[in-house]
Amino acid sequence: MGRPRFFARLALPLTFVLLLSGCIGGTEGNQQEGRAGQTGAQAQGNTLQQVKDRGTLNCGVNNAVPGFGSVTAEGEYRGFDIDFCRAVAAAVLDDPEAVEFKPLTAEQRFTALQAGEIDVLIRNTTWTASRDGQEGATFLTTTFYDGQGMMVRADSSYQELEDMDGTTICVLSGTTTELNLASVFRARGIDHQPRTYEDNETLQQAFIQERCDGWTSDKSQLAGVRSNWPDNQGGPEALRILDETFSKEPLGPVVRDGDSQWAQVVDWVVIATIQAEEFGITSENVDQMQDSDNPEIARFLGGEDFDAGLGLPNDFAVKVIEAVGNYGEIYNRNVGPDTTLGLERGMNRLWTEGGLHYAPPYR
Amino acid sequence: MTSRQRPPLWRDVRALRVAFQIVFLAVVAATIGYFYTNLLTNLNRLGIGTSFSYLDQSAGFAISGSDFSPSESFLAATLVGVQNTATVAVLGIALATVLGIVVGIARLSSNWLVRRAAAGYVEALRNIPVLVIILFWYLAVFLQLPPIDQAVEWAGALVLSNRGLALPWVERTGGLAVFLGCLAVGVLAAVASWVWRTRRNERTGAPSHRVRWAGIVLLGALLVAFFAGGRPLGLSLPERGELGTEQGLLLSPEYGALLIGLVVYTASHIAEIVRGSILAVPKGQTEAANALALSGFQRLRYVVLPQAFRIMIPPLANQYLNLTKNSSLGVAVAFPEVTRITRIAVGQQAPAPQAIVILMLVYLGFSLAISLVTNLVNWRLRRTGGA
Amino acid sequence: MGGSVRTDAQEPMPGDEAGPPIRHVGLRRWLRENLFSTWYNTALTVVFAAFLGWLLYQLGHFVFVAGRWEIIERNLKLLLVYRFPQEDLWRLWAALFVVAATVGVAAGAAARVRAVEIAEGRARPLARRVGLRRAAPLVLLVAVLLWLAGSVTTTLLAAGVAAVGVGGRYAGTLVPTRRAKWTGLLAFVGLLAAFVVVTGFGGQPWQEWRGFLLTLLLAVGGSVIAFPLGVLLALGRRSSLPAVRAVCVTYIELIRGVPLITVLFMAFLVIGFFMPPGVPTPSLATRALIGIVLFTAAYIAEIVRGGIQAIPKGQFEAAAALGLSVVKTTLLIVLPQALRAVIPALVGQFISLFKDTSLVSIIGLIEILGVGLAATKQSDFVAQGLIFEVLVFVAFVYWVACYTMSRESQRLEQRLGVGER
Repeated sequence: MGRPRFFARLALPLTFVLLLSGCIGGTEGNQQEGRAGQTGAQAQGNTLQQVKDRGTLNCGVNNAVPGFGSVTAEGEYRGFDIDFCRAVAAAVLDDPEAVEFKPLTAEQRFTALQAGEIDVLIRNTTWTASRDGQEGATFLTTTFYDGQGMMVRADSSYQELEDMDGTTICVLSGTTTELNLASVFRARGIDHQPRTYEDNETLQQAFIQERCDGWTSDKSQLAGVRSNWPDNQGGPEALRILDETFSKEPLGPVVRDGDSQWAQVVDWVVIATIQAEEFGITSENVDQMQDSDNPEIARFLGGEDFDAGLGLPNDFAVKVIEAVGNYGEIYNRNVGPDTTLGLERGMNRLWTEGGLHYAPPYR
Repeated sequence: MTSRQRPPLWRDVRALRVAFQIVFLAVVAATIGYFYTNLLTNLNRLGIGTSFSYLDQSAGFAISGSDFSPSESFLAATLVGVQNTATVAVLGIALATVLGIVVGIARLSSNWLVRRAAAGYVEALRNIPVLVIILFWYLAVFLQLPPIDQAVEWAGALVLSNRGLALPWVERTGGLAVFLGCLAVGVLAAVASWVWRTRRNERTGAPSHRVRWAGIVLLGALLVAFFAGGRPLGLSLPERGELGTEQGLLLSPEYGALLIGLVVYTASHIAEIVRGSILAVPKGQTEAANALALSGFQRLRYVVLPQAFRIMIPPLANQYLNLTKNSSLGVAVAFPEVTRITRIAVGQQAPAPQAIVILMLVYLGFSLAISLVTNLVNWRLRRTGGA
Repeated sequence: MGGSVRTDAQEPMPGDEAGPPIRHVGLRRWLRENLFSTWYNTALTVVFAAFLGWLLYQLGHFVFVAGRWEIIERNLKLLLVYRFPQEDLWRLWAALFVVAATVGVAAGAAARVRAVEIAEGRARPLARRVGLRRAAPLVLLVAVLLWLAGSVTTTLLAAGVAAVGVGGRYAGTLVPTRRAKWTGLLAFVGLLAAFVVVTGFGGQPWQEWRGFLLTLLLAVGGSVIAFPLGVLLALGRRSSLPAVRAVCVTYIELIRGVPLITVLFMAFLVIGFFMPPGVPTPSLATRALIGIVLFTAAYIAEIVRGGIQAIPKGQFEAAAALGLSVVKTTLLIVLPQALRAVIPALVGQFISLFKDTSLVSIIGLIEILGVGLAATKQSDFVAQGLIFEVLVFVAFVYWVACYTMSRESQRLEQRLGVGER
């Protein structure tokens, strides 16, 4: 512990620090060149072919959101997002089990996609302009229309956001919700203290103990939390979700920029589940439906030798529906009224029933 | 050297040494260069770029427990994080040292129960990940405090609830220039009186009372500064509101959990260092103290601890570094220290490689500061031999 | 504070088990001497007894009454091995058997060597024999796990592993002393064989390991890979070549200056950017391992450097006098002595790494803590505040493992006489 060590400790990392700042200075010039070269160097390849060669689909998911993506005690992945991973695998590889689930944190998800660790990201990810633009990601057909809401204790006096002046509000970090909270409250001049947690369970403990007055998140998640609220805490009746929805949160699959074929494939798998519900095709009647007299249904299910040129087999819809069912089945099985989450369809009904899901024609 | 013939170049040790070092450096540089080129290529390909200009962009997120506004920049957010890390590290180091010394001495107590309890404390906490300890303090202790509408108030000066512990604090009511100026003079005077008393003690052997002297001078300077500056500071007492406390200084439960978690964990390590250092003081010293009829406390204060301190300092410095680095676990309890801010920033579209370089620089800065201070103390102790 | 201080303790510094031989005194006298010698000692005793009683009651109440352990019971397999395929579980058992056998034989042989040394007066026996008490926490952990598993087959298999271990221990004592030198190598080969049994021949690649298995992989794998790197760095730091020294010092101090979490953060988010375009990013577990190895190597380097510095100068001079080359001096004189002296510190580093593996859960790679936290989000357990049960269980597993290791390392330290200089 003498003097030499003292100087070594100081001098060498310091020089390294200087070196690093040298790098900072040096790289400033490369900036424009880099932006320009961005479009040209996207020949990273054919994801569809890679998936087929590999025999498994690498799907980036969440493993800690009940109803959307979580792991059961038996070690199986379950959830709304998980089913769409399986649907893609069923369509491309003819095997809904050929999925390698890669659980990702909020910060990791885009990096993982950029680096090619995953083929598709289906992890309740909100479609925003800057994510579409800056993160090198392409957002596809929305699978779940959500919006940010605010949950408060039922015995509190808050009726609308404006009542929440001076409150402490719990929010999950790394999400669009966090940004929305800041911007909406600021725009309306509502003073608040945000408490951002990394982990829902810690956040929930904080909320139970009245560490915060409100809990903001996507309404679907809030509803799930509310319906599961422990009885010793008063059950679901103890909580109230304010009517106001103060953001749009379209959640859907994401793929890398620059591979339009793969984007089409994933896109049309999602569309197929919606189309199937519109046609009334379910996992139970899909076999009979294949003999349907309706030419549109027959074409959709691979009859009439119709090839849309998507890079998928003609009967991919059959495989998808056999594996996971139509959109309504996926919804009801994972998050619908009969599940622990108990979410009503709301905006997620088909357009024919006043919702937002609308499949482009399959022809 | 002049008359002797030099061996051929390939057998000349000096030449070989130089050659080897050049090759070594070339290999290291090539490796770094290779990865660096890859990094540049990839960043540019993905359109992330290598510039640090993101630091000037507005962050967009808010930070709890600070006045930080979402429209401020990423750089400002990082600075808030640095400040928060520093508050945890400084207070944590102080508390962990005190607790560690207490437990370390308790491990050598003559009371069996105290001795076993201290040993149990050390063995229990040393062997559990600090992350688990911090989570536990947060969930099992700090969140279980009464909610704000049942907050415990004491003498109008303390308000304790699970929104935090509110303490009285100074607040600024006027200009500080005169006050700070007077205070600076006061500090200089205190240092001067300290040095004077020390020298006098060294020269004459009379008791120095340097702590007393310096303290009185400092206190006097403080008072003079306070009144001369036109009473620029007032006391702000916390008041309980409906949704939290107002005024005063609020220590949040997250801060508390991180701080106490780090303190109890680090103290268990410091306790072992303290115990080892005390045992390493030669037995003759204790016997000599006993022969001089010193009391147990005197023996500890004047004979054992001063010698133990010198043995302790290098390993203590390591523990201080560990505590500072472990404060990065604030992520687990949502305390906005610098690692957590960086994570939030990366989640909100700050480029990861740049953000991490900055994060590392921040921690290197902390580590260097701590090594500097502890090395100076160590150096001084060795030079003067005093404690 | 404990009244007066026992600075005159007879015991060697580490480990308080090795106190002076127990005197047989009456209970009353013992109580008076140890608990009620003065008024403040009496006060301390009362206060501590009350506090400890309260603490124990709280803990007992939680463990036996209030705790809802179903979440652990149902998720036990996930916590330990995560989604390890059922049909491959035999590989893990086989690995356990292999490890038990080889480590047993190695321990037995080491004990024999030691017995011979004591008989020949080359080593001192430990101050006090602890015997089976050493294994008590481990036995408790295994008992808890078996009880949670609630399966006869598992219990029988575990008993089998224990039997093989004990058998190996006795078989080990039969190894001739001369060959016993290689027992460390045997244990290492056993570990390697166990690894191959699990991963090789169509087994589960280690990149897919999760849960406690991942904790083990990161701690053991990280240490084993980091060790040679650390030794090289230490030698580099002691090198007489300034360029080599500078590079090593920079690396070591840079890494030691930042928290593990930032290194992991970098490994998870940035390693992908360091790969040449087209080369796929390594898996999550690989990246965690890279981060841990880079981090641990710096710490091991500092420990080994301490060992090298502790070697008396005469050793170097003697080596030079014998005309040994630099390489030979290093391999034959420096490293054997340096490494032997720092074994306890290396074990300490291993324990600290073992605990630190819990950090990978923050980054989304689920080891035992991560699995536990994720289990609180399963639809059967979500939103019920079961995080306490998870934390207590995880803390217990870590505690048993680390406590046992630190105890064994203290014994080793006494045996090597490191703490007695």
